Amino acid sequence: MATKTKAKTGKVRTPGKRAQSKQAIRDRIVKAALTLFQTKGFDTTTTKAIARRAGIAEGTVFNYFRTKEDIALFFFEEEVDHAIAAVRDDPRLRKAPLEEKLFKLVHSQLEFLAPYERFIGAALLHALNPASHLGAFSHRAQQLRHRYLAFVAELIEDSSPRRKNDAFSWLVPEAFWIYYLGVLLFWLYDTSKDKQHTLAFLDRSLNVGVSFLQTGRR
Amino acid sequence: MTNTPTRRAFKVASIGANIAGSYLGYVLQSAFAGKTTREQKLKTTHARVARKVRDEMLLMRGPAMKLGQTLSLQTGILPEETLAELATLQMQAPGMHPSLVRVQVKTSLGKEPEELFETFSPKPFAAASLGQVHDATIHEGKRVAVKIQYPGIHDTIKSDFKWFRTITKPAQASGHIPKEAIDEMEKQISAETDYKREADNIEFFRKGLAPLSFVEVPGVFREYSSDKVLTMTFVRGRHLEQFLASRPSQKLRNQVGTNLFELFFFQLLKLGAFHADPHWGNYLFNDDCTIGLVDFGCSKRLLPASLEYLRGAYLYPGSRHSPEFRRLLETNYDNQGKKPSRAAIRALIDFAEEYRKVYPPEKGKQFVFDFSDKSFLTNYIRHATNLFRTKHVMTDYIFMARAEMGLYNTLHALKARVPTSEIVRKYL
Repeated sequence: MATKTKAKTGKVRTPGKRAQSKQAIRDRIVKAALTLFQTKGFDTTTTKAIARRAGIAEGTVFNYFRTKEDIALFFFEEEVDHAIAAVRDDPRLRKAPLEEKLFKLVHSQLEFLAPYERFIGAALLHALNPASHLGAFSHRAQQLRHRYLAFVAELIEDSSPRRKNDAFSWLVPEAFWIYYLGVLLFWLYDTSKDKQHTLAFLDRSLNVGVSFLQTGRR
Repeated sequence: MTNTPTRRAFKVASIGANIAGSYLGYVLQSAFAGKTTREQKLKTTHARVARKVRDEMLLMRGPAMKLGQTLSLQTGILPEETLAELATLQMQAPGMHPSLVRVQVKTSLGKEPEELFETFSPKPFAAASLGQVHDATIHEGKRVAVKIQYPGIHDTIKSDFKWFRTITKPAQASGHIPKEAIDEMEKQISAETDYKREADNIEFFRKGLAPLSFVEVPGVFREYSSDKVLTMTFVRGRHLEQFLASRPSQKLRNQVGTNLFELFFFQLLKLGAFHADPHWGNYLFNDDCTIGLVDFGCSKRLLPASLEYLRGAYLYPGSRHSPEFRRLLETNYDNQGKKPSRAAIRALIDFAEEYRKVYPPEKGKQFVFDFSDKSFLTNYIRHATNLFRTKHVMTDYIFMARAEMGLYNTLHALKARVPTSEIVRKYL
């Protein structure tokens, strides 16, 4: 979660005390909710239990989030922000090849999700439910996906700027989304020590994928 | 690499199928052919398959290459030169970009390499079996070599072997590829994935080889090492190709060759354990005739009985066709609970005769063997191949054969003249 915001002038200003305290409460709610999602399960966790764990009144939770699905979505938004920042803010990646940038992006996501693995499995199932707020078809989830894929498209364009208006350029980020879900599933079911299989899978598949993309575009 | 198990499996399968299948095909056809036709058919089959197998193995460069190399020796489908070439090749893992390197180090040691080391070069300076080596410095600017393992390699090896066992079932049943040989290879190759074990090996050899002043073995920094990361002192020297490119004098090549030869026999006969990966990247040569030895992932400790036999056989004074020598051979098999076939005894006697040319027992200091003689290398490999094909090779010697073949190939490249008998006698 960002602790500093950029004003229109471009100067960095520290948020006021009131905003800081609001942010601290929000963080407490999210942390409590995730711990419960992970230990008790997503479906059985109630907002009441979240409030109790966070040490606040249930009503206060509703000041911040309408439902527990909203809390989960907030967490996924943070995950995407974290991963994008990890790639964008790393000076060592500036001249790195596309496969390395994509590796860093996906790995940062997995690293962020790692403490809540059990919950991620449950959330993936929820994502398939069209009626769920958490579902892939909800407006907020769609927005998040677009933001994520816009960044992927940006990375791809950076790697071969001459091909920016390629007829298939819209297709690649979409394909990447399916690939990402595949990686997530692989990671969830990976029982190897330190998830070494996922690392190898990620590395090899990105190498093959990017080389396929670049050969196909040449 | 787990993403391509099918592709890898097909490759391993194709090597296995080429080796086992071609042989099986030959056995089937030969049942209906006369002796001359049989020999002709065997030659044609081998020539056709040899090129393909060699190319496949060179392409894979992974654990399957090592597996294929050892098995080719057993089935004799590759020409002698290619076998020697394969013995000194390195198994290689795919390269890792800096981000993957950082993840591997962090997962293993809790910190990214840039935090852990004073300086760390994100680009590797050498490929190592199963990983890559990076240049770094630790406290007070001490230069170190950091070996980092490619993720999931242990399971890749397991999966390669699983497929290999399946595909070679017919050859195992016929005894052409003994199950114990595959077990031995899997044990040795899998052991290479454990860098903690390699650190133990390095410490063993560093201590054991201390009496040889011309050998440099790296030191291990345990606090910067784990099962997937190995930090060692930097060993100076040039690889064989670079060393030879500097056109060293015959005198220098002789001395380096002599040291290399002594290093092998000291390990074998004094330590009873040896560095079993004779890949050229593992030896570093210097103009002062010192040799740096690196990468101790594949090292082999011989059984006391195997060692006992070697001590008796290397400079055996009498005729190798004598009943006494035959008894020496039989005792060795007996000690390991095996019974050799007559063909195996014959092949061993022929092999020992070949050795006699290199290590004449009656000759002393004045005898020098010239390894520039190519016929020796091809003869040695031909005899080794004949022996392997009798299906009665003791598994304990599989990795020794690889190391010895690598040694001879290196000495041949050096065109070194070495006082062989004198050195062997020193350590008997």
